Order: sequence, then structure tokens, then C-alpha cells
Amino acid sequence: MSKWFRENAPISARDLTEEFMRLKRGSVTRRHFLGVTGLGLAAAVLARQPGLFSSEAYAAEDLGSAMSLATWPNYHDPATFEAFTAATGVAVEVNVFGSNEEMLAKLQAGGTGWDLFVPTNYTISTYVSLGLIDPIDLAKVPNFDPKTQNTRFTNEGTVDGKVFALPKNWGTTGIAFNSDKVKSPVTSWKEFFEVAMTEADGRAMVHDYQLTTIGNALVSLGFSFNSVKPEELAKAEELLIKVKPHLYAINSDYQPSMRASDAWMTMCWTNDGAQLNRDIPEIQFVLGTDGGEIWSDFYAVPTSAANKPAGYALLNFLMDPQNAVKEHVANGAPTTDSRVLSLLPAEITGNKIVYPDEAALTPLEFGAAVTLTDPARAELMARFKSA
Amino acid sequence: MPLTMTTKRRLVTTALLAPASVWLFVFLVLPFIAMMVFSVGERGPAGGYQTAFTFAQYANLPARSAAYWNTLMLAPVGAFVCLIVAYPTAYYLAVKANPRYRLLLVSLVVVPFWTSLLVRTYAWMYILGSRGIPNLLDMIGIEDVRLLNTPGAVLLGIVYGYLPLMIMPIYVSLEKLDRRLLEASADLGAKPVSTFFSVTLPLSLPGVMTGVALVTILLLGEYLIPQLLGGGKVFFIGNALVDLFLQSRNWPFGSAIAVTLVAIVVVVLMVAMRIAWRISGTRQVDLV
Amino acid sequence: MTSAPTNDIEFRSVTKRYGAVTAVSDINLAVPKGAFVALLGPSGCGKTTCLRMIGGFEQPTEGEVLIAGNVANGVPAYRRPVNMVFQQYALFPHFDVEQNVAYGLKQLRPRLPAAEISRRVGEALEMVRLSGFSKRRIHEMSGGQQQRVALARALVNKPSVLLLDEPLAALDKKLRTAMQIELQTLQRDLGITFVLVTHDQEEALSMSDLVCVMSAGSIRQLATPQEVYDRPADLFVADFVGKTNRFDGTMEAGGMVRLGNGSALASGRTDLAPGAVTVALRPEAIRLSRQAGATTLEGTVTHRIFLGSAAEYSVAVDGLGDFLITAERQSQSENDLVAPGERVAISFDPGTAHIFPA
Repeated sequence: MSKWFRENAPISARDLTEEFMRLKRGSVTRRHFLGVTGLGLAAAVLARQPGLFSSEAYAAEDLGSAMSLATWPNYHDPATFEAFTAATGVAVEVNVFGSNEEMLAKLQAGGTGWDLFVPTNYTISTYVSLGLIDPIDLAKVPNFDPKTQNTRFTNEGTVDGKVFALPKNWGTTGIAFNSDKVKSPVTSWKEFFEVAMTEADGRAMVHDYQLTTIGNALVSLGFSFNSVKPEELAKAEELLIKVKPHLYAINSDYQPSMRASDAWMTMCWTNDGAQLNRDIPEIQFVLGTDGGEIWSDFYAVPTSAANKPAGYALLNFLMDPQNAVKEHVANGAPTTDSRVLSLLPAEITGNKIVYPDEAALTPLEFGAAVTLTDPARAELMARFKSA
Repeated sequence: MPLTMTTKRRLVTTALLAPASVWLFVFLVLPFIAMMVFSVGERGPAGGYQTAFTFAQYANLPARSAAYWNTLMLAPVGAFVCLIVAYPTAYYLAVKANPRYRLLLVSLVVVPFWTSLLVRTYAWMYILGSRGIPNLLDMIGIEDVRLLNTPGAVLLGIVYGYLPLMIMPIYVSLEKLDRRLLEASADLGAKPVSTFFSVTLPLSLPGVMTGVALVTILLLGEYLIPQLLGGGKVFFIGNALVDLFLQSRNWPFGSAIAVTLVAIVVVVLMVAMRIAWRISGTRQVDLV
Repeated sequence: MTSAPTNDIEFRSVTKRYGAVTAVSDINLAVPKGAFVALLGPSGCGKTTCLRMIGGFEQPTEGEVLIAGNVANGVPAYRRPVNMVFQQYALFPHFDVEQNVAYGLKQLRPRLPAAEISRRVGEALEMVRLSGFSKRRIHEMSGGQQQRVALARALVNKPSVLLLDEPLAALDKKLRTAMQIELQTLQRDLGITFVLVTHDQEEALSMSDLVCVMSAGSIRQLATPQEVYDRPADLFVADFVGKTNRFDGTMEAGGMVRLGNGSALASGRTDLAPGAVTVALRPEAIRLSRQAGATTLEGTVTHRIFLGSAAEYSVAVDGLGDFLITAERQSQSENDLVAPGERVAISFDPGTAHIFPA
């Protein structure tokens, strides 16, 4: 068999194994699909051996031997948890989920066993009002320094003057496109939807996620990303249903399709955009000049947590800039902490995908809590998907 | 007081049935009752369930009419295409295949079923994706063919995924078909084609009906294959349910849809059994 | 143009092999038109294979099978003018009686008018005395009724040959006897050739005009029932058809057979070479008496089975071993029966003894 043939084979054994492992890790979908398949429940225990020693900082309280974290796929450096286990003797069970809605659904249903989880900014007030999360006892998180945080991204962690969540990182939702395939300029959501129906017909993806898909459609029409006004939503629905036959997929797991050139253009989160661009330079990431989403993810402690001491211990560990910097290098999302920023290498802080110019961020909006619980947006999404 | 034989036997029967009954009650009856209760309730302000007694959720069912329509179209069409592929396969296995290799061939049909459907469907994403068949077509000069995320891909995935469930009951009914009936038919002057339509096919209909009912019912709840091979653009009741429970957290509406789906399944099953009884002339038809 | 064949079925040097196993070996057989032939033999003797080669379900490996004078090799079952009553009948369970019987007629091309089909189905059902059962499902019929449906179904197309594969095996004894008579009557009325396969010698002897005794893939004897019984061609036939006493002897000069107890038997068979022989004797050919005579053998009665009009005795004959003897009762007196333990003398007409080279 010639080398040429092997290189052009549909999929090599190594590729398949890689993809399968990826599937097992749960990174098949970013926001939605994982939970749908139930794979999100398949937890990966990253480290089981108790640490060789316990540092004095953690000796004051009994941390138990295991804890559970609910987070997003491919969002952490596995070495972080290994180091935590080595330091404390606590093994971290990582559960990955596809959407904020799904995390909320699980916590509402009860019995999650999570000691720490990673909600996005616009959901926190809802968790507080439903009594699903505890206020953060800052005395237990000495590594967190509010003075070094960029409050633009962190203020939603505070509800009614009480801190309920500590920031993990921020990010944006922009447009990734393959410049080899798409020659028309794509600089706005308006152009995104136009190109999706013309040059990238059959090759564009939108998220299976009401917030961004409806939000960006609204933005392209000149409305607010967070609108729940019936007449504006009706216009967005009209656009989405018009675009639907031209779409490649409605799926938040766009990385494989983009990498395989099955899809040429997609709605894209900062960290995925940075990864795609790093590996395949022709895939570019831009923010809509007409708007879009800016977001930040947080750590919060569920009221129902069984092992809160360990949850706090991990939270404090992650707030240590020395640990946090590794996390940021691994997942590619921008930090909210100036201490971490100073530790990051220049090629990351200088990357315009990760740290865009302020002017590019200006038109962006944070997601609003109302979209999370608004039945009209949920129904619109259902009509769009079933059209 | 000594127990009589009858009492003893009854106690033993009860003891043997108890685990299954408890299991059925806890995991089937109770959840269904819960679902019925939820379905007449209301969605809480931030999602979930809040007590009420209203049929508003049922009145709202038309909001998912597209999902119902897609599902009710896909299920029979998918089952039919499955049948078209499965019958000749089952016929070959049961009638034509060398008995020495029959077991091996039957295992070839069944063994893939032991692997998760998710993994196998994922493999199809590769075969149909641009690194798969389109890449091969590209080599011979046919460019930019898109196979993945098309209705055809969904149908292919469904036929592939459910084929063993269709082949096996048909195989069983063909395998236990009395060969002398086929000889009798030939003896009476029927050509092979005539024998097939007058004897083989009618007598394998219980298997066909079992397969069709099985595949149809499972397809009514399918969401994985359309999600993976249809790019999420194909929306079935299964997808609607997942979204309602895991995304918009509208439990009462989701429950109403689920209850309605169960009702549809029951109707499909009853109709299938009726047809099977009528055709085979006995009530000794095992469906599902 | 050939002259009208006199044989409905003919086997010419037919051999059938399944891989290394030879089921039928170089068989020659001619079944005259209108005959009732029974293929009789133990299971595995090749009789069913022969029948299936006539039916077209098997093809000979070597030789030719002729039906009505035409070589039928390679002709599929559905093109042969023969019909078969299958073992356990093979009735179509999804059809009612009428549909089962009409099946053969519905295969005819050009198509018969519905009225014609219905008339002929009616006739066929009448013939097997099942009028009024036409709408019954098969599983609602008794074994005997199913047997008649199978007959009607096979006969409705007016075949030139009817094949019957153990047709009575599934019936109880009383019904079997009744059906034997019915089949015989039917065959005579229809005047067509019947080929019956059976392992039951009584069935073969009572119904057929010709019995073809088979063993290990070969024909041992083809003759009338009486001839098969009275003059078995070999020891196998003698053994298989009816009951037989066998004992060893030595052929001496002049057709004299020296028996194990030293006595001599004048067989009159001068055609056999001197040497070891086996003597076969039917139980009813032996006479039994209480008085000893000079030319008779003697023995002790060990068992008696009372049969009503006759009695079957087991007698340990001095120097020769156990004999089975059937004795018709002469009168109804107790004295007519010999009791176990009694000494008896036995005698037979040397002409009734069959002598086979050992």
C-alpha cells in the first residue's frame, strides 16, 4: 500500500482512536449534545491515588478523599487536578455538561453530588433566587483577591451585595470561518447569515443553544442580543427559518466539522476559536461589528454540595495565580485576574482572538438572565429546529 | 398450621415474581404515574414543575406538531426501508446460507449490536464526512459532495442502526418455517416466486410484524441518529423531549408529550398485533 | 412418437449420493400404470429419497427417473404431473381447508374460472368426505381430518401418480386401519398410480399391489405382498416382512439340511451349494402338539400370549434355541391351549422352510 493512499484514507486507526477517546472524554459537544446523549453523566475520575503528602494549608479541615466538579468539556488542564490531589489527597471527579440550561435542570432535579460547578454569568441570579447556590465564604478562599479582578467580567458573581460566584475566565462568541473556502468578507452577524445562504450554502453552523443562535440572529437584524420582545423575536425566527435549509448543522460541537472542512463557517466561542486558529491558520475568528455576546464563567458552590470543605479547597487552589495560569494556557480563554495576566506568555496576551481590542468588544452584550427562563425563546428554538 | 401444596406453590410463585414486579413498579409504573401527574401541572417560573390541574399542556401539543409529524413520518418509512433491506438478508441467512456458516453469519449481524449505537453512528459521521466517502469521490474528480447532515444520512443511519432488530425476528420466523410447506407448494405446481408470495411471506409475517413494530416503536423515541447524522436540523419527538427536560426545563409540557407518545406506541402495538393475528390465523403471535 | 408407456414410474440405474453418503445405490424399478406400490424398509433405507426423486425434491446423482415415459431429471417439482401427501401433511396453516385444496388449481395457467375451482374443490372434499368443512382452519381439524385434506389437496389436480410419504404414521391404530381401506378404495376408484412409502410392513402388505422391500439403498425384492411374505427373496426380507424364526444349519448333499440338534431336514433345494445356511420359518407354519413323534423336534413352552383366535408361544426347542409359534385355536376349550412349562413336540412341512446361504 502506498503512503499516498494511507494519507488519503478516510480515517486512520489513530484518528479513530483519538476521536473515540475524545468522545469518551465527553468533548464531542460543547454545549448541548453531550448532555443529550447522557454521556455527560459519564464521569471521568482524573486522579484516584491519595496524595503522597498533605500540605499544612489544607490540614485544618477534613477534606475527605473525593469530590465532584461539574464543568465544561476540555475546559481544564488535567494536570491541575492531579496537582490538587497530590496536595490534598482529594480525588476530583469531573462531570462535563453541554449547557447552562442542563446544569440548571440537574440542580433543580436534585441529587447531583456536585461540590463545585461552573455556571455562566447570566445564570447566577437565577441560581440565587432558586436557592440552589451558597454565598461564597471568602475567608475560605484566601487566594482570591477582588482587587486584582476586572469587575467588568466579575460583577455578576455578586447578587444583592453578596458574592455567590468567583470568576474562572471570560470570553466572547464570534464567527469562525475558513478563509480558503469563504472569500466574501464576514465581519458581522448580518454578513454571517447572508454568506450562510450564499457562498457557504450548506456549510455554515449555528449553535444548538437558544442564547447565541437567537441572540446573534437578533443582532444581525439590529436588535439586542437579549431581546425578548415578541415582534423582534418574530423577525429573528423568520430569519432563522429562512436560513435553516442552507445550514450544515445546528450543533454546538463545531470543532470536528470545521477541522474536517465539512463546515466552513460557524458561531464560535473564544477558546475554540483560538484552538482552531492555532492548528489551522486559515480558520479565522472575528467578532461581529454589529454585536454579539461577551461572557464570563464562574465557580459556584451548590447548596446541596456534600463535601463543601473539598469544594472550597479546590476553589482556593484554582484561584492561586500559579495554578490558574496553567489553566488559561490549556483552555485558551482570557483571564479576569491581572495577577494571572502578568504571568501569561506574550503570545497569548498578544493574541487578538483571546484578547481583542477594546473597540471590538464595545458592541458586545452580556447574556441576560431573562433569556434563561423565557419560554418564548425556548419555543422559538424548538420551532426553528423542527421547521 | 402446615401449608397446603397449593399455598406453597403460590408463595413460591409470588416470591419468584416479586423482584420483577417491584422492578416494573418502581421503574415503569411509578415514573409513568409521575409523568401523568406532571403532564397536568404547570411550569415553574424558572422551569421545573409546579402543582396544578390543567390540560393546558395537552392543548399546547400542536406547538410540537412538526416534531410529531416528522416522527410519525420517519418511524414507518424508516421501518419500511429497514424491512426492505432486512427481509432478503434474513431470507438468505435462514434459507439459502450454508448451515455450516449460518451461526457465523448470524453473529455478524448481531455482534455490532453489542457496541454502543453512539460509537457506531459516530463512525458513520466519519464515513460520510469529508474525510470519508467525499474524500474518495474527490480523488476521482467529484468535488465538494456533502453526504453528512442530510436526510439521506439520517435514513442510512437509522437503517444501519435498527437492521439487526428487523433481521432477527424475520430470521427466526423464516428459520422455523416448515420446509415441507415449501415443497408442498412446489409439488402443487407453484413456481418459486408464487411459493414465496403465497407461503413463505405470509408465514413469516409474524416475524415481519414483530420487526416492524419493534423498529417503529423505537424510532418513535429516536433522537440520537438525527442529531448526529442530521446535524440537528431534523427534529423528532425524542429531540423535543430532550430539549424540554434538559434545556427549557418545561417538565409539564415534556410530560404531556411523553404521555401522548406512549399512547401512540400502545396504539401502534395494538394495530400491529391485530394485523399479525389476522394474517397468521392464530393468536399465538409473539410481538416484542 | 413413442408408444404409450406402460410404466408410470421408472428408475434406471438410479444412484443418489449426499457427499460421501450413498442414500440410494443403482436402483432399477418399474411401476406399472395404475399400480399401488409400497416402498417398504427401515428408516434410512432410501425409500423416502426415492419418493422425493419422483416428486422432484431431489435429483438423482446418476441414472434416470422417468415419469410417464419421460426422463424427469432436472424437471422441477412444480412441473411434474405427480402430487404428494406429505408426512404430517404439510398443510398450509394460514389457509382454511378450501384454500388448501384450491392451492394446486390456482397455480394452473391459463387460470381456471373461480366457479370451476370451487366446483372441483367441492368434488375433492366430497371424495374425502369433508364437505361442510371448507371454511375450517387447519389447526381446528383432527389428525384424521387433516389427512383427508392432504389427500384432497394432492388429488385435486388429478395427478397421474400420487405419492404418499408415511401418510398414516401420525394416526392412531383404529383410524389407521380405516384409512388403509379408504386409501385402497380411493386408488381403485381413481385408477391412478399410488406410490406409498412406509416402514410398517402390515400397512404395505395390506394396501399395495406391489411391495418393494428396500434396505441400505438397494431393492431387496419387488413382488406382490403374498409373494414377498411367502417367498422372501433373502433373509433380510424374511426378517423384515412378518415374523420369522431363524436357525443355523448345514447344507449337505441331496438338499438335506443338517440342523444344530443333529436332525436333518429334506429341503429339496438342490440349487444351493453345500455349506452353512440359515433356515427361516414363519411362526404359523409350525405345528405344535403334546404328543412326541419320531420326526419332530421337542421343546418346552416358556411364554404364551393369548390373542383370542390364536395364541403365540415361545418355545425353547432342544438343541435349536427359542422358537416363536402361532397356533390357531381349533376349539374354545381350555385344553386347546398349552401352558408354559409343558413339554411339546413341534413339526413343520419342510416345503415351508426358507433356506438362505449364510
